[in-house]
Amino acid sequence: MSISVWQAALLGIFACLASMPGMGGSVIGNYTLGRPLVGGLVVGIILGDIRTGIIAGAAAQMVYIALVTPGGTVSADVRAVSYIGIPLSVLAIRNMGLSGEAATQMATTMGAAVGTLGTVLFYGTATMNLIWQHMGWSAVEKGDFKKLYLVDMGLPWISHLVCSFLPTFVITLMGAQMVDIIKNYLPMDGLAMKTLFTVGSLLPTVGVAILLKQVVNKAADLLTFFFGFTLAACMGVNLIGAAVIGGFFAVIMYNIKLLQSRKPVVAEGGGAAYDDDEEEI
Amino acid sequence: MAEKKLSKKALSRSFWNWYYGHLTCFSQEHMQTFGYLCAMLPLVEELYETKEEQKEAMQTYTAFFNTEPQLGTVVVGVTAGLEEAKANGEGIDGEVINGIRAGLMGPVAGIGDSLVVGTLIPILLGIAMGLSTGGSPLGAVFYIVAWNVICTLGMRFLYFKGYELGGKAVEFLVGEQAAAIREAISMIGTIVIGAVAASWISITTSLVIIEPSADTVGITLQGTLDSVFPKLLSAVFVILCWFLMSKKKMTPIKVMLLLVVVAFAGVLVGFFDPMLTY
Repeated sequence: MSISVWQAALLGIFACLASMPGMGGSVIGNYTLGRPLVGGLVVGIILGDIRTGIIAGAAAQMVYIALVTPGGTVSADVRAVSYIGIPLSVLAIRNMGLSGEAATQMATTMGAAVGTLGTVLFYGTATMNLIWQHMGWSAVEKGDFKKLYLVDMGLPWISHLVCSFLPTFVITLMGAQMVDIIKNYLPMDGLAMKTLFTVGSLLPTVGVAILLKQVVNKAADLLTFFFGFTLAACMGVNLIGAAVIGGFFAVIMYNIKLLQSRKPVVAEGGGAAYDDDEEEI
Repeated sequence: MAEKKLSKKALSRSFWNWYYGHLTCFSQEHMQTFGYLCAMLPLVEELYETKEEQKEAMQTYTAFFNTEPQLGTVVVGVTAGLEEAKANGEGIDGEVINGIRAGLMGPVAGIGDSLVVGTLIPILLGIAMGLSTGGSPLGAVFYIVAWNVICTLGMRFLYFKGYELGGKAVEFLVGEQAAAIREAISMIGTIVIGAVAASWISITTSLVIIEPSADTVGITLQGTLDSVFPKLLSAVFVILCWFLMSKKKMTPIKVMLLLVVVAFAGVLVGFFDPMLTY
């Protein structure tokens, strides 16, 4: 199996749309086309093997299920994971004849490695957009407001041509040869490949930890995390179940917080009023 | 002078400009500023006749803006309401609007990150991955439909709710009730993240404590750990990463590189072994 010029070009266009910050907008681009599971479907359709595409996509998705970009700091680039990593994984799975666990592990590692290296594409795009923003400022200065649309929605395509389309096109086009080289020089039971696959299993922790950093403000909040962890690990509750149980505790939490914030108002009302209420009960 | 009222058409245009364009021209220096300018432009053009007034109004929105873009739609709606009030001379100026905008950025980003990225998306993806087991496209299709419908309707609702409430939305977003909602939502988020970690992370050790012989079953470290607490290693690694990032202020990339070193050392001493062959 190899990737033709047209297939590589299509992958390149999807990379432009799916990036963070991408030309598809963040709802349809980053959060839909950029999710590796959806990317797996798209890549599967383009390469004519939906099943392998989805398997590779789901595996890469596992690493990035909790991918969050707080304040624009990224730990992985979705265009690289979905439209460079997944096509390469599909090639590797097909050309090395991997299946089952091995196929999943290969896609996980490939996705993570490419995704991490791909952050350079994110910074490249963001830096190149400075040029268009500079043009935007002078347009605002002159009152030439219509130009803002061109700056916000048109010119960034140029950044993506350089930082999304070209890298995806070139790398996926050479993908088949690269897979052959890896296969010949790096045996699966060798130190390099063992490390690579182990890294694949460790990396999802970083994604979860980034999320955790967002919601944990004090050490006691960690207990809430472990509550959810225990639900799934020891009691086999799935994600929907955990969300329902979480929702139940959230309602309790909400009521407690609301009561706490109302307390001072009651005190202001004076002791007498408070006593009257007591007697009535 | 007749009271100025934004037309449905201009509001709709503003909404879609934000919906699509909030991150297309992203840079580290001005993240969503240009998306915001594009969202305000149809409104400013309708509210102010002269170029000078338009220029002055647009100047307000040249200030830095960045938040969680989905929930952040409410901020755009609020400023639409405020801009309308300002055009009608209700004692609001650009500085007031910018103060409110800057004040909302942080709280909205906090709620949005834990609600949208930390809770909604992992739940939808979790269901979708279950549906896609074995390579079925069903899960991916489910995610595409569910996410886009929920998100588009949600953002539209937030925009028009924000516009309707205007300045009053601030009380709703940063008041005591909002703080209680925020705590409650981040509680769901934290619990779900815990479940996500336990469901999708699988770190196992291949270390053997006692080799199995002909008549006895061997003892593996993994088996022992599982009897202490299932998925203990996954939990330990998550906490380690969290500790390094939030207490030691390490960047995610550095933590990832550290994990590569850990994996290499682990493989060398036989702690990790994926046991795969071609």
